[in-house]
Amino acid sequence: MSTTKFGWLRAGAAALGLLAAAPPVLAQPTAANPQTVTMWSHWPDEASKRTYVEGRVRAFEASNPQCRVRLSFIQKADIYTSARAAVRTGQAPDIFWLEPDEIAFARNGFLEPLDKYVDLNGLEDWARASWTHNGRVYGLPLEAYTVELYYNRDRVRALGVEVPANGQMNQAQFTDLVRRGVAAGVTPLAQGVADRPFPGAYFLEEVLLRRLGPDDYRKLLTGQLPFRDPRVMAAMTWVRELVDIGAYPRSMATLKLGESHYYFHTNPGALMFPIASWYTGRAFVPPESGGQPPGFPLGLMQYPVMDNSDCPECKTLAVGGSYVMYARSRNKDCAGALLNSFVNIESGNQWMEGVLLQTGIRTDPSRISGINAPYFRELQQRSEGARFFIGTPLQYMTGRCADTFQQVLNRALPGGQITPQDAAAQMDAACAAAPQ
Amino acid sequence: MREQGRGDRLTALLRRGPLLAVLVLYTLYTTLPFLWVGAMSLRTTAEISADHYGLPSPAHWGKFRAAWVDSNFAGYFWNSTVVVVSAVAIVTVLGAMAAHALARYRFPGNRLIYFVLFSSIIFPPQIVLLSLFQILVNYDLYNTRTGLVLVYVSLQLPLTVFILEAFFARIPQDLFEAARIDGYTDFQIFLRIVVPVGMPAIVTTVILNFVHLWNEYLFAVVLVSDEDLRTLPVGIQRFMGDYFQDIGMIATGVMIAVIPVIVVYAFFSEKLIQGMTAGAVK
Amino acid sequence: MSAPADAARLPAAAAPRRWWPAARRGERDPGAPSWLTLMAFLAPALLLYAGLTAYPVVRTFADSLYDLENMDAPRFVGLAHFVAIWSDETFLRAIRNTLVWSFVAPFLDVATGLLLALCLYAGVPFARFLRIAWFTPVLLSYVVVSILWLWIYNYDWGALNLALRALGLDGWARAWLGESSTALAALMVTHAWKWAGFNMVVCLAALHALPSEVLEAAELDHCGWAAKLRHIIIPMMRPTLLNLYILAFIGKMKVFDLVWIMTQGGPMWSTETVSTYVYKRAFAWNTFDLGYPSAIAVVWFIIVLAAAAVLHLAFRQREKLEY
Repeated sequence: MSTTKFGWLRAGAAALGLLAAAPPVLAQPTAANPQTVTMWSHWPDEASKRTYVEGRVRAFEASNPQCRVRLSFIQKADIYTSARAAVRTGQAPDIFWLEPDEIAFARNGFLEPLDKYVDLNGLEDWARASWTHNGRVYGLPLEAYTVELYYNRDRVRALGVEVPANGQMNQAQFTDLVRRGVAAGVTPLAQGVADRPFPGAYFLEEVLLRRLGPDDYRKLLTGQLPFRDPRVMAAMTWVRELVDIGAYPRSMATLKLGESHYYFHTNPGALMFPIASWYTGRAFVPPESGGQPPGFPLGLMQYPVMDNSDCPECKTLAVGGSYVMYARSRNKDCAGALLNSFVNIESGNQWMEGVLLQTGIRTDPSRISGINAPYFRELQQRSEGARFFIGTPLQYMTGRCADTFQQVLNRALPGGQITPQDAAAQMDAACAAAPQ
Repeated sequence: MREQGRGDRLTALLRRGPLLAVLVLYTLYTTLPFLWVGAMSLRTTAEISADHYGLPSPAHWGKFRAAWVDSNFAGYFWNSTVVVVSAVAIVTVLGAMAAHALARYRFPGNRLIYFVLFSSIIFPPQIVLLSLFQILVNYDLYNTRTGLVLVYVSLQLPLTVFILEAFFARIPQDLFEAARIDGYTDFQIFLRIVVPVGMPAIVTTVILNFVHLWNEYLFAVVLVSDEDLRTLPVGIQRFMGDYFQDIGMIATGVMIAVIPVIVVYAFFSEKLIQGMTAGAVK
Repeated sequence: MSAPADAARLPAAAAPRRWWPAARRGERDPGAPSWLTLMAFLAPALLLYAGLTAYPVVRTFADSLYDLENMDAPRFVGLAHFVAIWSDETFLRAIRNTLVWSFVAPFLDVATGLLLALCLYAGVPFARFLRIAWFTPVLLSYVVVSILWLWIYNYDWGALNLALRALGLDGWARAWLGESSTALAALMVTHAWKWAGFNMVVCLAALHALPSEVLEAAELDHCGWAAKLRHIIIPMMRPTLLNLYILAFIGKMKVFDLVWIMTQGGPMWSTETVSTYVYKRAFAWNTFDLGYPSAIAVVWFIIVLAAAAVLHLAFRQREKLEY
């Protein structure tokens, strides 16, 4: 809005401001005082990531006395709400947490390119690409993940099903497993979509990616291939078939992400859990804090492939939680140095060892050790020979298309509330009609 | 009903059976949720997961301390108190002055002002929400307590003027004339006559505004982003996000928010009921 | 204008202890005040109103003509947003949900309130205590109410499903907030739970204000409760009931907190209200435009004012009704 408009009213409002109380004046950092970098991170409920980030920040402060860091851990949804409002106002924190599906922040000029501040060669190429807009890199891709299918070995074995050594099942075998689980009174797939716009679609996504192959899958996500495509319809019909058998919890719509972890490993327990490899963040903590029970028989299998799949070895790899710098930050030097302090092999390895999760920072996995190293090796095994597709659907969709994805593919289809035909029609109406 | 003998009383009781059933059921319907959450607030999440409806034995009182200290409930409480008390104080003063002018003085535009204020009571909040956000940003009031206080004052102003004007208009003219003969100025009349006589209505608006603002969520969530400035409703909601599966802890947080209201209500129930229904009761 | 518009009140006497005769309207101080005095009383309130209510409303109207992806560089788009609104499926759904909620749910609120008030009016034991107990939810914030009811509706261990299962109605148990067919109704019940006590108190006061001779005469005629209710009480309480209806109606047109915390408008937009949709478009979608949500707010503003005016006219009786 132009500042000259409604000038008289503005004058009135200004007078009021004076009348009530003078607004607090922001202290300008001077050279003599240390700069204080404000940093908002997600992961308040994920102890291992908190520990890692706090450790890096403390180390940075120790070696950079001219910089102070005010670090807070805030739930993702709240960061998004606050940041989305605050970036428009000049009041956003210097560094905050985003995922690459929020690249719109960069498109709107709210983010500072990191090229000047961060050693870009210390980042994996694919991870850098996820944060690249107009040739500049806008995010520090700390967290990366593959979309995995975890399972409870004991429960699956108890049903008389043997998961092949390579973890790969076909459509018929998988349908049979789901049927057996339901017959035995065990929910086959734990999942909760109450507070996230994506996990309900994980299963469909992975099946679709393998069925279509990366090129057509990308076209699907960008609105160039309709959801009415027969291959897509076949995949959705299969998902609906599984849903009708009873694959998902009936409470899925109101189950939260955190609760769905607990649902899988503790109470009531499920056969499988389609979730990203950041499963560890919430599960590999003491049971009192909601972690999986000691000695939990965790296994990793591949997503099943439909017959005639074009790319059975395909798999989603995505950049997750990243740190970005606010374009109007007044503490860019310290903020940039802080971000760069994350980018080195030690730091990356520390992340992988502590959090047991991939990262977009270059690392040396051969040096990973620790009590959970066997898990990490199995995780790596599941990606051996894989052809990665980079990014999740929400990283390709915006606006109405993303909203429809969240409501239809994330909730309604796995919730059994919509037919595949309707789902396809809704997706096409929202995505294909207005490709963005 | 005038019952006479014992037999009559019995039939009366039987006749009233359904009535009593409704009473009991509805009372359970309103109170059980509180007792349930109250019980959960004293139990650990592990205990709750084992049985969601168990009694708190042993009672873990330490959870309240944990929520109050570790989870910054003390801070949320302080913010809510500062913001709401200031806003209610300002809106009461401004509202009473304006209501007095509208109720007492004849001047062109009196009814127009009254009507405009009156009709803004029904404005949907969205009509101002987005532009208030922009305005506060323009004046560096975004993400400040001052900004939130000003917005709260403006939100409650029409209703306050509305209730007070109705009351002030009933103060008899004789009082004013007598005061004028005694040589009171306009301001003295306001302070020494209108305010004391109108005190019941002023108390009513204070209660009403206090409860509304204490519970306000939408503007608090849009206009404040700093964790240290959050008010209680936003704090609880965020707390729920942070402890997504720690039901026991969320219950503790909810109780911290509810207990002060219940305590105040226990002592001043009639006053609160009267305040909250002000104007709706003829 | 915040929170429950049940906040909107009637102008009638808030005067609880009135010991003087009511002055007739229009009988204002004949001693015309100096302009200065008048302004001293009025100006602070008017300035605040102008700056933080009137100006924002005007600015929202202006914003609705712009694309405001970037607040510092607005782009004029004329009426494009308004054209887009008419083909915005989600908006139309939000309007439908909100109107259904606003027109239907007040019956639930007012009927419950009247029923409860009649129970207390019938002279039951502990009436004073019950009145206080039933009113308690009115004082709670929506955040607290939402959390309570999220748990009550929980599929696995919520009180509602537990009760159904205990009664052997296992088939009825469902994820009440998770199914598009029940989510909106579930929210309406929660909203009614919070507000029934308010309606009860107002109805009770109105009942006590009814002339007792009429009721006694009916009693002598051996008039049954149902008949008495239908032929005497409801007609005599008509103004109160209509007022309560309008209050509840306006409150529901504004509802945000409850929906946002409980369902965020889902599943499948079945509980999307105009408030949540505006909020989503402004602060939750990964688009930054404030212009389009402003246009929605403008359209909705006009609808709300029109609906209030229509109700006002439709219910207008001999005695003047205000809301």
